[in-house]
Amino acid sequence: MPIVIKHLSFTYSANTPYEKKALKNINLEINEGDFLGIIGHTGSGKSTFIQHINGLIKPQQGEVEIFDLKLTPAKKPKVNLRDLRSKVGMVFQYPEYQLFADTVEKDVAFGPKNLGLSAEEVAKRVKTAIEMVGLDYEAVKDRAPFELSGGQKRRVAIAGIIAMQPKVLILDEPTAGLDPYGKEQILNLIKYLKTHCSPTIIVISHDIDEITRFANRIVVFNDAQIAYDEPMQQLFKHSRQLQKMGLDIPRAVKVVNNLRARGVDLGDDIVTAEDLLKAIIARYNEKHSAQIDEGACVFDMYDFSQKWLTSEEREELGLIPKSEEVPKAQSKTRKPNKKTKPRKTKDEEGKE
Amino acid sequence: MAVLLDNVTYSYNINDTHRIDAVKQLSLHIEEGTFVALVGHNGSGKSTLAKLLNGLLMPTSGEVKIFGKSTLDPNNIYEIRKNVGMVFQNPDNQMIASIVEDDVAFGPENLGIERDEIIRRVEWALSKVDMLEYRKRTPFKMSGGQKQRLAIAGVLAIKPKILVLDESTAMLDPQGRSEVLKVAHELNKQDGITVIHITHFMEEALDADRLIVMNDGRISFDGTPREVFKHYEELKTIKLAVPWETQMAISLHKAGIDMGEGIVNEEELVEKLCQLL
Repeated sequence: MPIVIKHLSFTYSANTPYEKKALKNINLEINEGDFLGIIGHTGSGKSTFIQHINGLIKPQQGEVEIFDLKLTPAKKPKVNLRDLRSKVGMVFQYPEYQLFADTVEKDVAFGPKNLGLSAEEVAKRVKTAIEMVGLDYEAVKDRAPFELSGGQKRRVAIAGIIAMQPKVLILDEPTAGLDPYGKEQILNLIKYLKTHCSPTIIVISHDIDEITRFANRIVVFNDAQIAYDEPMQQLFKHSRQLQKMGLDIPRAVKVVNNLRARGVDLGDDIVTAEDLLKAIIARYNEKHSAQIDEGACVFDMYDFSQKWLTSEEREELGLIPKSEEVPKAQSKTRKPNKKTKPRKTKDEEGKE
Repeated sequence: MAVLLDNVTYSYNINDTHRIDAVKQLSLHIEEGTFVALVGHNGSGKSTLAKLLNGLLMPTSGEVKIFGKSTLDPNNIYEIRKNVGMVFQNPDNQMIASIVEDDVAFGPENLGIERDEIIRRVEWALSKVDMLEYRKRTPFKMSGGQKQRLAIAGVLAIKPKILVLDESTAMLDPQGRSEVLKVAHELNKQDGITVIHITHFMEEALDADRLIVMNDGRISFDGTPREVFKHYEELKTIKLAVPWETQMAISLHKAGIDMGEGIVNEEELVEKLCQLL
C-alpha cells in the first residue's frame, strides 16, 4: 500500500477570525496502480489534501504514510523530505509558470540534480523525461522554455517532475487553460506516463468528462470531507447528490438520466461517451432488428493522431524544414546575426 | 456598425529577420447588439484581434473602426477605450483595489465623473453582475467566477457599448464559467451591449448570435453556431471540436442510425433518441 492516510485534519489560520477547516478526519488508502481522480468544488479541501501527500503541508492531526515514510504532527523523528519528493511528484496548476531556467535541459535537470544523483544519471534522466513527454530532446534541449508554445511549456514542466521518476504522480488541473487539442495531448501523455513512468497517478480536475476517461477510482471532496470514494463506474449512482454538491456529472450520465425520465432505460453502468454509444446501438439493434456493429462506432471528438508532435510543432522545432513562407527576400537583404544561431522557430503562443 | 475591420494585418517582429502575421488581411463587420463568439485554437490570432479592437495594438496595415472611428487616429483612442471594455483571462490580475466598490469605481473616477454619478454607476454595475451584496468585501478571497464578474462590473462602470471577454472563462471552474456567461448574455439582452466572447470551448458559443472561427490569422467560418457546426470535419482539422452532443449524434449517424442534422445540445439529442429507442 503506497499511501495510507489516517484521521487527517487540517485548519487554516487556527484561532483567528479567519479560521477555516480545510480537512476533517480524512481516511484514505491509495493503492499501487490506482488511477485516482479527485473532484470537489473550489474550496472543498482537495488541494490541501494533495499537498499533504508530498510533504508540502505537515499534518496538524492524524498521519500520512507514504511507502515507508510516516508524516505525523510530531517533530521527531525527522522525515527525509527529499526522499519523499523523489517518490511523489507533484505537477501544480499552470506548471509552466514555474519554469525558470534559461534552457529546457537545465530546467528539467533541476529536480534530479537536487536528488543528489550523478551527473551521468541526471543527463540520462533528463533525456528520457523530455522524450517521454513527446518533445524532441536534441531540438529543444538548448532552447529557452519561454520560446515554446503553451502546450509545449506545460510538457517541459511535466518532464521536470518525471525526471525524478516518482512512483506516485499527482497532477492538479493538468489541462486547465489549454485549447481542446492541447488538452487531448496532455490526457494522452498522462495515460502514457501511467504505463511507462509512474504506476500510481492522482489527478485533480473540474472536468468530469475528462476524469472519467482514465480514472479507475474517484474520490469526491465536499466541505472538507470525503463524500464518496467509489470505483469510477459506480460513482454516478449518486448523480443527484453530486449535483446537489454543485458538481458536474458526465454528459453521458446526464443523457442516460434524461432518457430514463422519459421512459427509455439504458441501464446504469454508462459513464463515458463510448459506453453510451454502445448502449444506444444495442438498444437500436434490438428495437429495429438492425445489425449495426457497436465496435465499429467511435467517438472521435478530435482529429488526433497518437503522435504528440504535430507537423506544425515539428516545423516549429526545426525537425522538418519549414514548408513555406520563409521570408527569403528579407533574409537576403539583412545580415544574419554573426555569432548567435539564427532562430528558425517562433513562439506563436505568446504572441497571439 | 459597432465594429469594422477593413483588410487588417497585424505582424509581430520575432527578430531582425522574422515576422509573424498573427492577423492576416482580415475584414469583419459586427452589428451593434450582437453576441459574437470568437473561437480558435491557441495561436490562431483571436487574442491579437481582440487587442486590435480597442487600440491596444495598431494594425500593421488596414484599419479598425469602432462606431466609425479609426483606432489609428490618436484623437479617437480615448473614446474607443470608453466604448470597448475588455476583460482578460486571469481573474487575479485584474483587481486593483482592496474593496470591491473601490475597484469598480476606479474606471469612472479616472474619467473624472462626479461622485454621485460614480456611486450610481458602481451600484448599477455590481447589481448587473449580481455582486451588490459583496460591495464592502475584499475581492482577494473570492472565487474565480466572482472575480471575473467583478472585473466585468469594473468595465461596465465605464458604460461601454462593446464588451470583449478575452478568454475570460478559460481559468474558471464549470460553475464560474456559467456565471460569467450568464452575465454576458444578460448584458447583451437587457442592455443591448455588443459582446465579443473569445473562447476555445465550442459549447460556450452555442447561445451566441454569431460564431466566428479563426485559424492561422484568418476567419475560417462565420455564421450561426448551428451552421458552423455542420463543418465538424474541417473544425477538427484546425484543432477544434464541436459540442459533445453534436459529436455524439455524428458518431451515431456515421454508424448507420439516422440522427438527422443539426443536433447541438442535450435536449435535442435526448429528444431524437427518444424517438428512435
